[in-house]
Amino acid sequence: MSIAHASLSGEALALLGREQASRFLPWLTVCLGITLLLTGASLVVGTSDVHTSITWLMSPDAMSDTVLWHIRLPRAVGAWLAGALLGLGGAIAQSLFRNPLADPYLLGSASGAALGVTVSLLAVDASLSGFAWVGGVGVTAAAFIGACGAIALTVALSRGVLETASLLLAGIVVAFVLSAVTSLLLLRSPDTWRTMQTFLLGNTGFLDWRGAALLGAVLLCCFVPAIALSRGLDALMLGEDTAASLGLSLPGLRLMLLVLLSLATATTVGQVGLVGFVGLVAPHLVRQTLHVSQRQLLVAAPVCGGALLQAADLISRWAIQPAELPVGVVTACLGGCYLVLLLWRRTRNA
Amino acid sequence: MKGFTSRATAVALAVLAHVALAAANPIVLHDALQREVRFARPPERIITLLPSLTEMVCALDACGRLVATDRFSNFPASVRTLPKAGGLDDAQIELIVSLKPDVVLLSHVARLTDRLQELGVVNFVIETETYADIGRAADTIGAMLGSPQRAAALRRAMLSAVDEVARQSQRALGARSPLVYYEVDAAPYAAGPQSFIGTLLARLGARNIVTAELGAFPALNPEYVVLHDPDVIFASPADAGNLGRRPGWDRIRAVREHRVCAFSADVRDTIVRPGPRVAEGMQAIADCLDRVAP
Amino acid sequence: MPEAGRTLDQPLPFATPGISCRDLSVAFGSRRVLDRVSLELAPGRWTAIVGPNGCGKSTLLRTMAGLVVPQAGSLELHGRPLQAWPRRERARRLAWLAQNTLASDLSAYECVALGRFAHIGWLGQAGPADVAAIRRAMAATGSLPWGGRRLSSLSGGERQRVSLARVLAAEASVLLLDEPTTHLDPPHQEDIARILRRQAWECGTTVLSAIHDLSLALMADRLIVLGVGAVVGHGTVREALAQNWLSVAFGTPVSIISHDGAFLWRPRLEAQAEIRRQSG
Repeated sequence: MSIAHASLSGEALALLGREQASRFLPWLTVCLGITLLLTGASLVVGTSDVHTSITWLMSPDAMSDTVLWHIRLPRAVGAWLAGALLGLGGAIAQSLFRNPLADPYLLGSASGAALGVTVSLLAVDASLSGFAWVGGVGVTAAAFIGACGAIALTVALSRGVLETASLLLAGIVVAFVLSAVTSLLLLRSPDTWRTMQTFLLGNTGFLDWRGAALLGAVLLCCFVPAIALSRGLDALMLGEDTAASLGLSLPGLRLMLLVLLSLATATTVGQVGLVGFVGLVAPHLVRQTLHVSQRQLLVAAPVCGGALLQAADLISRWAIQPAELPVGVVTACLGGCYLVLLLWRRTRNA
Repeated sequence: MKGFTSRATAVALAVLAHVALAAANPIVLHDALQREVRFARPPERIITLLPSLTEMVCALDACGRLVATDRFSNFPASVRTLPKAGGLDDAQIELIVSLKPDVVLLSHVARLTDRLQELGVVNFVIETETYADIGRAADTIGAMLGSPQRAAALRRAMLSAVDEVARQSQRALGARSPLVYYEVDAAPYAAGPQSFIGTLLARLGARNIVTAELGAFPALNPEYVVLHDPDVIFASPADAGNLGRRPGWDRIRAVREHRVCAFSADVRDTIVRPGPRVAEGMQAIADCLDRVAP
Repeated sequence: MPEAGRTLDQPLPFATPGISCRDLSVAFGSRRVLDRVSLELAPGRWTAIVGPNGCGKSTLLRTMAGLVVPQAGSLELHGRPLQAWPRRERARRLAWLAQNTLASDLSAYECVALGRFAHIGWLGQAGPADVAAIRRAMAATGSLPWGGRRLSSLSGGERQRVSLARVLAAEASVLLLDEPTTHLDPPHQEDIARILRRQAWECGTTVLSAIHDLSLALMADRLIVLGVGAVVGHGTVREALAQNWLSVAFGTPVSIISHDGAFLWRPRLEAQAEIRRQSG
């Protein structure tokens, strides 16, 4: 039984009407088809021209083996997985905060990750032996720890997960304060500024199979529990009081969702830096083109986000070949265009 | 007696004339923005906002005239105790003005030069981007300080030192012409042939994997480095050990055979600053090249 | 439909009250909303709460549903303290309807199906019993034709009927309804009244609804009249009228007329005539 029909018997389906179930699957198929196309394109686009790449595919040698299967393919797959995690995080954030324009960095995770990276970069240069281990931890782990730490700080500041409004407010406070601390630290060592900028603008350039495997594992770890909780997310759409009266434990639900959100966001930020807009646009786009339940959204948003980031990665590699645009700049442009389009349609319809 | 008197008079007249000439002919220079700047006499109180300019002023024996530098100037050691006026982007205007400098030497930052102009502080923009700028800067600052001969001597010394290093390096390299990738930052940002570093590498006889049309400091696709398989890689000490972890980079000859050069921060300063120590920086690169080039 | 007021003579079917509260006090900050309210609601009866705006009707319902923590007093559901019930158990017995139904992307069917959450749980599938309950509830509220439509595409009244269907689908033994008929047109309001009456009488449910339309409220079996935060009176409709609780609670004379066995609020015709005169 497909996901769309999973919770409905024949009679229920008759009640529901077939139109809802029927649009979801074709949409999903189209999205996955686009993903395959983009992956294929990723194999062919890079610093060598298309002709050379196709020649490689026909008659592989040692160099093509490295470039195609150890550089381009893991990068494409990793970009998809990172985009999927961001899309999933965005879907969870938008449902948790009942805000169609929420993004997964809402609770200060972006600022926390930036601070973690700054500290680890500074510790590499620092002569304080006590902090040398921080430098050894690596940028990836430092970003992860920073992001998780920031969310934990937000939850502590809002005194638990009892109220969504206080969580949001605490998230804003944490984001501002950690940003300020990061800026202060950067002033002391301007050499790290360029590396920080790379992180802040997002970079898929160094995704390898190990990173892709990590992203894939985390995607699975976040996706399965999220699907299990999707009924609760549906109930949340009726309003928090109604959801509570239906028998849901709201603090428990919020805590679980926060854990999933922070895991998804922190892992992605560690691997590809701060890539914006994908987490916002993917679930929003799904909702605009389809009308879906939470369960379907939790499937469609990652698929959409993965394709988006893959496309952005492709553009970043291709636009000023063989130099590269930071992938966060490309997603910002794409995201900005999408929002402008939304605005234009809204004012035209009004 | 009559001859002595006439000679003394002639000398006195000559001195007077010289003084008068000096008073009547102030030093007129045009800075990089084509602004005309007049100095009645050589400046006694100088502030420099660029490390290369600091080093140039000190190389012209005018270190004692410096009253403040920017926060990054650290050579020679005597300037470390001077007050620091921030960087180019966040210069401390108040400090600069309170020190009443005769001139502020800097590179072009529009807001800063405008502000100093408004406040009546004489500022002089000197470009220090390319290799050719080094000689020009020496001449300009020498003229400003009233010692053009010393500047000319410095310029000749710098150029001959560079030529010497280049010659020795090419002799040491012999038939080898190593393909080099100079990584400025971990994005990866590379030094292209038009950059200052790129010029140095070219003079030493190395070939750059970056081509001229990519610009001075392009952000490369890491795949590009793998495809071009450089013989020697220059990286920062933090990244040098981890190059092999980047996907596909363990294939690069330079990584496999450990032909990686990493310089400490002090040595890096001599390489990236287009100043009087350019020959030292070049020597560091040349030594490493000679050591690791295949 | 049995006439209002006939219930006095019939014995109550259950001994323990459906839901009751004693000395319930609720305050938001320094503002006291409910002050020592004590009520006992018997099963099998439809009770309506009436009172002026701001008297605490919504707060009372929310507190009874367990959504607001009272400062003092006790609440009991089927004889057990409300806090002692495990969350899902309580949700199976007690259903609450909010005043406003939020528009969202959920379909009407999915919204009603969520009413069965306490029975199905997080991961379960809707069984035939669940689907039957959903279907019955949607048929009763007349929302079957909109099964596949989004809540955001329905009107306020249609959404309210879907929410009511959700509450009915839960098949709870206590229904707490906050203004279930506000956005509905008069024929549908009567339909809902019929449903509530039938629910109480035939299923033995304890139905408590806050209704501000007095004529509609007077169709109920019993009335709770709230003044500002305190109970002015609690009893049958006849008692309420005999002791003039409504006038006391609203602070102005409220006249009720009796017509064909039904009680109707009599609009103040003199005041309306004056308004018409002013407009020329």
